[in-house]
Amino acid sequence: MNYESDIEYCYQIKQATFCKYVLITPSKEVQLTFPQMLELRRKIYDLTTFNTLNEIINTDNFVLLFVADKQHLIYLDIPQLLKLKEEIELFFLDFNPVLV
Amino acid sequence: MNAVVRKQMSIHPDVMDLLNNQIAMEMKASASYLAMASWCDQRELLNSKDFFYKQAEEEREHAMKIFTFINDNGGAAVSPNVTNVNNDFESLRAVYETGLEQEIAVTESIFKIFKTARKQDDYITEVFLQWFITEQSEEEDTFRSILDVFDLMEGMPLKMIDERFPKE
Repeated sequence: MNYESDIEYCYQIKQATFCKYVLITPSKEVQLTFPQMLELRRKIYDLTTFNTLNEIINTDNFVLLFVADKQHLIYLDIPQLLKLKEEIELFFLDFNPVLV
Repeated sequence: MNAVVRKQMSIHPDVMDLLNNQIAMEMKASASYLAMASWCDQRELLNSKDFFYKQAEEEREHAMKIFTFINDNGGAAVSPNVTNVNNDFESLRAVYETGLEQEIAVTESIFKIFKTARKQDDYITEVFLQWFITEQSEEEDTFRSILDVFDLMEGMPLKMIDERFPKE
């Protein structure tokens, strides 16, 4: 069983239109606006600090997360949480400076 | 997904995170000055009381300036938690020394954001922060001048020292 590739395709973020994005989860596709994306980023970053990750691992070992203004609830175990963080980092990496 | 973040947001996401931390720092400073104002108010140190009430308001204004800046540029400003505010001081001099330490920490934090903005080619934030750098230089100068009065008037009654401070 290729565990890595299983995780890889669990959570993905894609752009649907100019200001609409889609978070693809194993069970559903969640439409997100840009402010909702920013809120998801904030939540995921908060959940993936060293202390918070430790706390999750030592308790439930998963998190339930509201996304898209509390319209959807998603389940994330630790590998999925870290994968989603990577996906978000990749999404926000693309800040091109103004070319002069 | 090319340049999608750039289209939606004029400031760099990493810089936005630092600006959100700065909001929390300014709000904490505001709450801290309020505690200092209360300490002075209870001891009838009228000039110091007025000074710290005004400082508390100013710090909040700084936080609000950053808050609206983030949202105006397509980012997400976060309303911060303010906890662990110290209300206990040993002397009026210690109050002002804490104030100066706090201002220096704020200045250092602004420098850090400025450096990151420059590194990430976030020109909008860089220009925005220039006002804060000038402001911090003035704030530090005010505190240092007051601490100089303490040195000059060493041994004088506290009330008399307080009366020598610049009136707001």
